Amino acid sequence: MNIAPSDEQVMVRDMVRRFLADRYDATSMANGPMPAKDWRALGELGLFALLLPESAGGMGGGAMEVMIVAEELGRALAITPLADSVVLCGQVIARSGDAGARWGEPLAQGDAVLAFARGGREEAGVLSGASGIVPGGMAASAFVVALETGGAALVEADASGVARSAVRMVDGSIAADLRFDGARCVPLDIAEADLSVAVTMAELAIVAELVGAMGTLLDLAIDYVRQRKQFGKPIGSFQAIQHRCARLYTVLEQSRSMMLRAALAGDDARGRAVTEAKAYVLDAALRLAEDVVQLHGGMGVTDELAVGRGLRRVLLLSRLYGGGAAARMALAA
Amino acid sequence: MDLALTDAERAFRGEVRAFLADALSPELRRGAALTSGVFAEPDIARAWQAILEAKGWLVYHWPAAAGGPGWTRIQRWIFEKECAEAGAPVLPGMGLKLVGPVLYTFGSDAQRAEYLPALRSGEHVWAQGFSEPGSGSDLASLRTRAVRADDDYIVSGHKIWTTQAQFANRLFALVRTDPDVKPQQGISFLLIDMAAPGVTVRPILSASGDHELNEVFLDEVRVPVANRVGEEGQGWSIAKFLLENERGGSSFAPQLLADLRRLAEAAGPLVGERADRALRLRLEAQALEMTELRTLIEIDAGAAPDPRSLTTKLIASKIRQGIETLAVDAFGLAGLQLPLERPFYGSDVPPPIHSAEAQVAAARYLNARAWSIFGGTSEIQLSIIAKAALGL
Ligand SMILES: Cc1cc2nc3c(=O)[nH]c(=O)nc-3n(C[C@H](O)[C@H](O)[C@H](O)COP(=O)(O)OP(=O)(O)OC[C@H]3O[C@@H](n4cnc5c(N)ncnc54)[C@H](O)[C@@H]3O)c2cc1C
Repeated sequence: MNIAPSDEQVMVRDMVRRFLADRYDATSMANGPMPAKDWRALGELGLFALLLPESAGGMGGGAMEVMIVAEELGRALAITPLADSVVLCGQVIARSGDAGARWGEPLAQGDAVLAFARGGREEAGVLSGASGIVPGGMAASAFVVALETGGAALVEADASGVARSAVRMVDGSIAADLRFDGARCVPLDIAEADLSVAVTMAELAIVAELVGAMGTLLDLAIDYVRQRKQFGKPIGSFQAIQHRCARLYTVLEQSRSMMLRAALAGDDARGRAVTEAKAYVLDAALRLAEDVVQLHGGMGVTDELAVGRGLRRVLLLSRLYGGGAAARMALAA
Repeated sequence: MDLALTDAERAFRGEVRAFLADALSPELRRGAALTSGVFAEPDIARAWQAILEAKGWLVYHWPAAAGGPGWTRIQRWIFEKECAEAGAPVLPGMGLKLVGPVLYTFGSDAQRAEYLPALRSGEHVWAQGFSEPGSGSDLASLRTRAVRADDDYIVSGHKIWTTQAQFANRLFALVRTDPDVKPQQGISFLLIDMAAPGVTVRPILSASGDHELNEVFLDEVRVPVANRVGEEGQGWSIAKFLLENERGGSSFAPQLLADLRRLAEAAGPLVGERADRALRLRLEAQALEMTELRTLIEIDAGAAPDPRSLTTKLIASKIRQGIETLAVDAFGLAGLQLPLERPFYGSDVPPPIHSAEAQVAAARYLNARAWSIFGGTSEIQLSIIAKAALGL
């Protein structure tokens, strides 16, 4: 067994970490979506190409690469469409013939964002119905739509018959309330199993983002309880606080283990391992974020600190794709 | 033992119910249901306060000698239960629940005559100036200084987390009048006119985007000595009296049970894991209701408050946070929308996805995190219980 990242993987991690460290500090963490120019800069660094499959013009990075990049973004509490756009939609278009050629390059460059929608019916290349709230949907150039009738289709955002209105979400990202009324689309020639592989990779990205966020939030809490004084001493000297922090540390390490277990699983076992990671980590992350807020007292509930804003981001991530509860139901079934 | 209401109490409940059915306009109910913060905002609160005052029920929890209706604890509980069930606005407590009882208990005749009527009429709107940047859980370490100069105190300091100070024209504050004695002994309780020169209010935005909290800067503010409640140095015991009211002055369970019921109405039947969570929350709230009832029945019978009354705020905080988390989940992705426009019942808010209740869920979730922080954190509550109830 070998759980150490390769030299190339370490290089990628350090590059992303440096890039984000230059841009994210206590005031900018979890403070609105990543500016488009930074997203594009990440594209220019080759980060998205690394994650995209070869058939979409990428380098075919695997689960480890997805995990490494997502964890770093999570660590910076960066609000990006990585999981939906690059990972999920990237995987789908790569497996869907011509669409890969059309969208691979702009996705890799960070020039285009795709969003993933569920719901809508396709008949003879025309879409109707509603997808409801689609995260990241207002900035999307096109949507990969998982159809009610099975299969998937790709529809351009400015096609006639596509109606979307902006919905501000709890982390400050802008979702779309999406409806189709006779919108021309391209049915994607993707097998159900391939679609579920794509979703699995996106779920792994979300798990890793959350583990990254948990690490940062716990670090912030430890710093805070060291310096915040009440009753004449640092609050970190009170046993109640020490025990809480110690417990959070165990939760973080358990979550990281679940993430690694999922990323390192073989292709055949990954689906289940990612569902297990999701079932565990999503709720653990929210509990940790809530406890970190509590450790900050009044400061924790403000918009001024990264912890209060971080809770918003964690809340959103922990509820995507049905959240931990849906994953547990699936495992118990 | 008998848990049934007497005939007189049932008749009273009927009277309250009929009044609420009539007095609560659709606007007030909607405003209350779509409030994202802890207390109703001024437009809703003012209107409801005026209606209650006209009926004589605004200060339902004050004794008759102080101008209250002279109700028993059970009657007060019935009233709170009916208000919660009917979805009445939750009035800000800083005046009615906190400084009001302080004034009729510790205030001079002149202070009672000046402040109690103005509080009831809504002319005075109060904020609570206890916490400071360096003094939260350790409140007794507060540093705001009040230095005597003839018939005034000159007050300088920095208060924080002052709820609704942006709407208030009066501040009750703990200040240090004597720096040379034990911290608890050097504190006094002052009533400060927020229009006085030297008072500055700066907003603090919550993670939810709501503006409930503020900093209040006091820069050589002149406060007449006549505005001190009680003796110099008595501030800490007054504050303890006040904090007991803040933590357990009214019943928490009725509102929690009513909100749980309304959640199921707004979100549709909860199934699977969510149904289980809703059930656990309801059981906890039912237990809390009985815990609260036990205590107030004993007090009505003449007993001193049982130490179990120290547990209710801690329990209520957990249930409240559980309900708001469940609400977010019950609405699916629609429970994660968070527009910035306020108030949620106002006309600037974008059309909601799913429902107005879904639109307010994330803000309520975020604001509910504060339940285990304000009025003494849950950790501090646990320490108090360990010490005062268990003698540890
Ligand atoms: C929404 C909201 C409204 C508020 N409204 C008002 C108001 O109107 N007026 C007002 O005066 N104040 C108000 N407060 C302030 C509130 O009373 C304080 O936030 C609270 O007392 C905690 O103080 P702190 O924020 O400084 O946290 P700290 O005291 O710094 O606590 C930080 C963390 O350390 C823990 N801790 C501290 N000491 C110990 C210990 N000995 N053992 C174990 N754990 C410990 C706390 O539990 C907490 O988790 C409000 C606060 C909030 C969040």
